[in-house]
Amino acid sequence: MAKYTAMTGNTAAYNGAALCRPDLIAAYPITPQSSVVEGLAGLVYGGKLDSNFVQVESEHSAMSVVQGAAAAGGRVFTATSAQGLALMYEPYFRMSTLRIPMVMAIATREMTSPETIWSGQQDAMSVREAGWIQMFCESNQEILDMIIQAYAIAENKKVMLPVNVCYDGFYSSHLIEGIQLPEQAEVDAFLPRHDEYAYLDPAHPAALDPLTPGELMMKYRKKHLEAMQEAKAVIEETDAAFAAHFGRNYGGLIEEYKTEDADVVLLTVGGMSGTGKDAVDAAREKGIKAGLIKIRFIRPFPAERIAKALAGKKAFAVVDRSVSFGWNCGPMYMETKAALADADEKYCSFSAIGGLGGADISFEYLLGCIEKLEAKKDQPGKRDTVWLMD
Amino acid sequence: MNYLDVLKSTKNVMTPGSSACQGCGGELITRRVMQIAGENSVYAIPPGCMAGAGVDGWNFSNGCSAPIHITLLDNTASFMSGVSEMYQRRGRTDVNIVAIAGDGATADCGFQSLSGAAERGTKMLYICYDNEGYMNTGYQRSSTTSLGSSTSTTPAGAAINGKEQQQKYLPLIMAMHEVEYCAAASPSNMPDLVRKIQKGLEAGKRGFAYLHVFSPCPTGWKFAPDQSIEVGKKAVASNMFPIWEKENGQFKVTVNRNPISVAEFVKGIGKFSKLTADEIDAIQEMVDRRYQTLLHLAGE
Repeated sequence: MAKYTAMTGNTAAYNGAALCRPDLIAAYPITPQSSVVEGLAGLVYGGKLDSNFVQVESEHSAMSVVQGAAAAGGRVFTATSAQGLALMYEPYFRMSTLRIPMVMAIATREMTSPETIWSGQQDAMSVREAGWIQMFCESNQEILDMIIQAYAIAENKKVMLPVNVCYDGFYSSHLIEGIQLPEQAEVDAFLPRHDEYAYLDPAHPAALDPLTPGELMMKYRKKHLEAMQEAKAVIEETDAAFAAHFGRNYGGLIEEYKTEDADVVLLTVGGMSGTGKDAVDAAREKGIKAGLIKIRFIRPFPAERIAKALAGKKAFAVVDRSVSFGWNCGPMYMETKAALADADEKYCSFSAIGGLGGADISFEYLLGCIEKLEAKKDQPGKRDTVWLMD
Repeated sequence: MNYLDVLKSTKNVMTPGSSACQGCGGELITRRVMQIAGENSVYAIPPGCMAGAGVDGWNFSNGCSAPIHITLLDNTASFMSGVSEMYQRRGRTDVNIVAIAGDGATADCGFQSLSGAAERGTKMLYICYDNEGYMNTGYQRSSTTSLGSSTSTTPAGAAINGKEQQQKYLPLIMAMHEVEYCAAASPSNMPDLVRKIQKGLEAGKRGFAYLHVFSPCPTGWKFAPDQSIEVGKKAVASNMFPIWEKENGQFKVTVNRNPISVAEFVKGIGKFSKLTADEIDAIQEMVDRRYQTLLHLAGE
């Protein structure tokens, strides 16, 4: 039986990782992720987790060590944030393009400059073209559950891609929520022990990743993109299988909240979704037919499900905790628009940017977005980007 | 076993037909290392001359008969840390974990990951073939390039006469990581090199082993390909490249009773053709000081 307890997002992350029995963990501390490393170190040094634990001198090496271990057939885990993710970009890109499965948690954080250590999603959003599957969590339970699901998705033979499980730094990483902590046996039943192919093994000598001519590389890239699309069905199936084992599910690529009869819809990413749901409830009390779509996976981008969920609606706003420097809006607004044909003819819409560098995305801000949509819902067209600040 | 018997009785793991330059020191070193380590090994060779020569595999016709990966230029030691950990974890401790990298991938951008792996005592053998520059890409300077060398990024010119700094002496830095084994060797002394490769492989089963090998480069340094071994001999004889080892905490220097001068060493090597007398003096002073430090460490 699962144990009811309470823990921070980082504690949920390391417990989730430990339950997946990784062969090797390599990590480097960085705010706000550090307690994930500390927690895993505590388990390994305390004899409660049988994993090789490699204390590296940088995130670049963290990703390199897990890459080597995974190439030798291991199930591996690491975690990072912001500057650490930026430093590991070189082996990070190579992990996905080698098509080696693994899971990395990101306690998301704003990118410097201005100098900051606080929350934001710019780090993970900025690497969304590096070939990884990336998903964002709303609750601590979801963090723990999604790390377990992420291994099942990553190691699925139709996918074979690494997965980022992202959650908001501080807001999720450091705040305590109630959690159902599964038993090891329950996780083992859902996620069998890893027996991955060792690419580097004298028993079957081969060169891993020799210099590859463009004609062959084109084929690899095409297959990588196809695997990303295949992953969409695997993500939905994995969520359903998880529900059958644990009694909890999350909707797969997206979660819809009161969208069925909604006129106006907020789209959110990560921890702000809870506030967004409260704002939807409050708006409905005022007679506004509001709903919410939580974009859970940003890679692969759930274009079909978002288009379907928004079909027949009048207005939407996408709330981003990061920016797209080239489009004067948030990145998920840009991508949501790309998923909708003739968006500006059919919908009133705008991008809302908030919560940068740890700033609060308050209930009032999100209710304000809904009211703004409600006021203009019968006048389709793109509106100016709204900055959620005073 | 005599080193000739060792080399005669072991298989050439690196395929024939590599595209290394004539007289390449790096190729000779790599062939010998792979011969002695053998096929029950996992190799990493990052971008550089040996990757460029096709040891990592190229065009389905070149490469080696053992598992190998072309690591990133800067993550060879950390990638191989992960490989080593998995082999230890699975109890397959008989497999040699071997990295072969140039000085750029070792002393410059790869230095952080190398230092990390050495400090952690990762069970592996790391070999640097030091040709004192980025030779594969046309001889740009590296931190091990010696003072006054004319390279493609430090050309001997009217305003600046070649590289302005002395070389970074990496092997001693590695020795101070308290590694299991650390040695400097030259292919011009093959019995010594073979013995150090064997010791390094053995020590790499217990902890981190580091071997820094002088790699004469006819193409980059501009000397005749048939002079490589001669240049290696003169490098050792002049103390430009002293050979020594550190094991069980003890330094052991191959004592050079009658060193030749730096002026004698640089003769006939194109990259040194514009050296001034002052620069030769400065190199001589550094070389003498460094050699005295090594003798002192060895208690000689």
